[in-house]
Amino acid sequence: MKKIPLSASGPQMKDFVSSAAPTWCEGCGNYGIWSALKQVLVELKLQPWQVLLCFDVGCHGNMADKLLGYRIHGLHGRVIPLAAGAKLANPGLPVIAVGGDGASFSEGVGHLVHAVRSNYPITLLMHNNANYGLTTGQASALTKKGERMNSSPNGIPEETLNSMDFVFSLKPTFVARAFSGNVPQMVQIMKAAITHRGFAYVDILQACPSYNHFATQEWLEEHCYSVQESKKKYDTSDFDLARKTAVDTSKKIATGILYQAKAVPDFIERLQPRKNRKTTPVEEVAITDISRWMERFI
Amino acid sequence: MQRVSLKVVGAQGQGVNSVGEMCAKGLKRAGYCVFGYREYMSLIRGGHSSYQLDIASNHVRSSETHVDVVVCFNNNGIRTNLHDLKESGILIHQTAQWKFSPEEAELISAKHLKIIELPTIDILRTLNAKPILGNVLITAVVWAILKRKPEELKELVTEQFGHKKDLLTQNFSCIEEGFAFHGNHAANICVILPEPNAQWCKQLLLTGSHAMGLGIVHAGCRLYAGYPMTPSSPLLTYIADLQNETGMTVKQAEDEITAAQMMVGAMHMGTRAITATSGGGFDLMTETLSLAGITETPAVFVLAQRPGPGTGLPTWTAQGDLLLAVHAGHGEFPRLVLAPGNSIDSFDLMPEAFNKAEEFQIPVIVLTDKHLAEALFTQKPYDQKRARLRRGSLVTDPVKLKTLKASDRYDPSATDGISLRWLPGSEAATYCAQGDEHDNEGNSVETAENATEQMRKRMKKMEALAASLPEPDLSGSAHPEILIVSWGSTKGVVEDILGDEVCKGRQIAHLHYAYLWPLKTQRFEALAKTARRVVCVECNHTGQLSMLLKRACGTGPTDQILKADGRPFFYDELKEKLLPFLRP
Repeated sequence: MKKIPLSASGPQMKDFVSSAAPTWCEGCGNYGIWSALKQVLVELKLQPWQVLLCFDVGCHGNMADKLLGYRIHGLHGRVIPLAAGAKLANPGLPVIAVGGDGASFSEGVGHLVHAVRSNYPITLLMHNNANYGLTTGQASALTKKGERMNSSPNGIPEETLNSMDFVFSLKPTFVARAFSGNVPQMVQIMKAAITHRGFAYVDILQACPSYNHFATQEWLEEHCYSVQESKKKYDTSDFDLARKTAVDTSKKIATGILYQAKAVPDFIERLQPRKNRKTTPVEEVAITDISRWMERFI
Repeated sequence: MQRVSLKVVGAQGQGVNSVGEMCAKGLKRAGYCVFGYREYMSLIRGGHSSYQLDIASNHVRSSETHVDVVVCFNNNGIRTNLHDLKESGILIHQTAQWKFSPEEAELISAKHLKIIELPTIDILRTLNAKPILGNVLITAVVWAILKRKPEELKELVTEQFGHKKDLLTQNFSCIEEGFAFHGNHAANICVILPEPNAQWCKQLLLTGSHAMGLGIVHAGCRLYAGYPMTPSSPLLTYIADLQNETGMTVKQAEDEITAAQMMVGAMHMGTRAITATSGGGFDLMTETLSLAGITETPAVFVLAQRPGPGTGLPTWTAQGDLLLAVHAGHGEFPRLVLAPGNSIDSFDLMPEAFNKAEEFQIPVIVLTDKHLAEALFTQKPYDQKRARLRRGSLVTDPVKLKTLKASDRYDPSATDGISLRWLPGSEAATYCAQGDEHDNEGNSVETAENATEQMRKRMKKMEALAASLPEPDLSGSAHPEILIVSWGSTKGVVEDILGDEVCKGRQIAHLHYAYLWPLKTQRFEALAKTARRVVCVECNHTGQLSMLLKRACGTGPTDQILKADGRPFFYDELKEKLLPFLRP
């Protein structure tokens, strides 16, 4: 008798299940992001061994051992160059960097600037809960001005950084905004981001029930709308429209794929020495004959 | 050994380097061993810089404080470097109607110095040649003083400008005019070079940075991420200049943290990658160094030393960062620190640095310095048969990969603490390279038992690493009365002194440390027990190798010769300082 194919071929959600139990607070947006990430890997038909997930340090970084896949859990603020270096070594493997707003807009903000201008072919999933959750609720650069936070008993005196205005000022090639409460939309966005030609910036508004009392789950649910689902036609290739739509959050917050420039070559494509190479730097490790360069010193 | 030395001085941008390099190349090809030493200031135009060549028919690996010939591009050079001349030395300058001060005139007469005033501008005007050709003219005068043939210079300029006929003709005219000037105005002023030795003709003339660059390429390194900082920048420049031929990925990063992170990311993925910096930049990299320690990611950092603290003396040399390299980074983790001593080590130790990084899954710090990075060495072509690719317990076999369990990655029971490593993208169980303390598969675990077990696992690698390293290199007497201990770039000058007359027939030995951490002490202790004096020579203020030796052995060297003035040890200077120990 012919064997009945009861299990679908390709990876499944269970292939990404880790033995480590989640440690996030009840109601934390990380649960949604975690589910969406696993689901998108499955939908992209990636086995756990076919992806490198790089984690920064923060509440999001505690995801590093809560799912399978090749993972590296590095230093606070440094996930972008870590992921970029890995990608340069093996451009064939999808590389996803996961960071928070503390890491990406304070400690490691310089890396974000240069990742955008370099257009490394990696994805940054930026968990935006507008505070430092793991260190128990200090203000980040994205915390609302005047908000009273741990170590800012009088409210924070600094201006709030508009993450979208900042990123758009750098001429990005992919910008999206998601909401941790909308898993199906996150899956769609992440899929587009991971398959994008260059650096994909995904700003994920995330509920933090413990420390963020200004942009709560309910508040975000009320304010977020998807540009892809809105009645007005939205053109993701229109930079000026995208910037305007993304930056203005006074009444509603636009989510979805906000901007994508598909024709811009990524960093590796721009490297002259790597043109027409069939191998990756990982495959090229070998004792190399240096005679031709040595002779020039005679 | 007869040494002849020549020093070209002037403002930066005047052509000091190009005259120095042309002379060095010509002399090497004529059969001389040449050692080049550059001094310059941290600016682009102006200031005062020099390019010194020490020339011999035997091996020469150091510079003298006083020279036979000084070539001045400007009058600042006349004033500053007249004092650098030896007895009967020659000063060539280009300042019309220069008047020496009474003190200078006295010095000239007392030391029987000879002065040549070269009317460069007038000669160039007659030839209708551009100012840049003054470099060739002045080199020709030097060549005539050294009693070399004009054809040798013509060959050099033909190589450089052969494709530009007009320029070549002008170069030839300058060479002829230089010789004519010497013949007409200074025919009896010359320097007698020793007999040439043909062995040097076919050797390489290259800087320590070139040597290290070749070693890095040879080692199979495929990615270089760096941020400019003297004296590591010449390495970045050289590797970058080769990229279209090597196919290497070269990234000038936005800062040193980025450079270090990219290197570690690329190493984690499985290629060979490197970063290089100097002290200040290395300070920024140390958190990444510590990360590589706990994730057990192979990593290679080049730390090119210059004097600190702070910005210090950016374009000068030091050996002040040994303890930094040994102790850098928070927490305790295994590491290898090595310091090439010369242009041979700079090449040979690079494949070793990568091999050890991969075999032991540890960060490796290669300590070099401005002296080694920028000195010019005459070097036998490298033996390319020696290096082997050793990647330790890296699993690449598809069959074996399938049998792996995630828990193999940080298995605490692995022999010598070296657990299996496999690369992202391998069809195998996946793990987390975890910067938090972790269990065997990289899950964050905070129990006391696990923390103890994983710390022991990592530190166990240090014992195996130490066992794999050679004892420091011993040259000279096997039963020395006087033991000179050095590390890194101080090697060359000590070796030159050991070959000097003052050491003939004496029981003297030189113990040179290229591998510094983990510190090998067996040979040192055995020799130190019987030696009358143990003299440690270092370019730092506090005697850092002495400290490490004392800490490890209980007793350290009996004596120290230290300096921390931005300059390397000069041949005559160190000989003078060693004399009290060398006398019977």
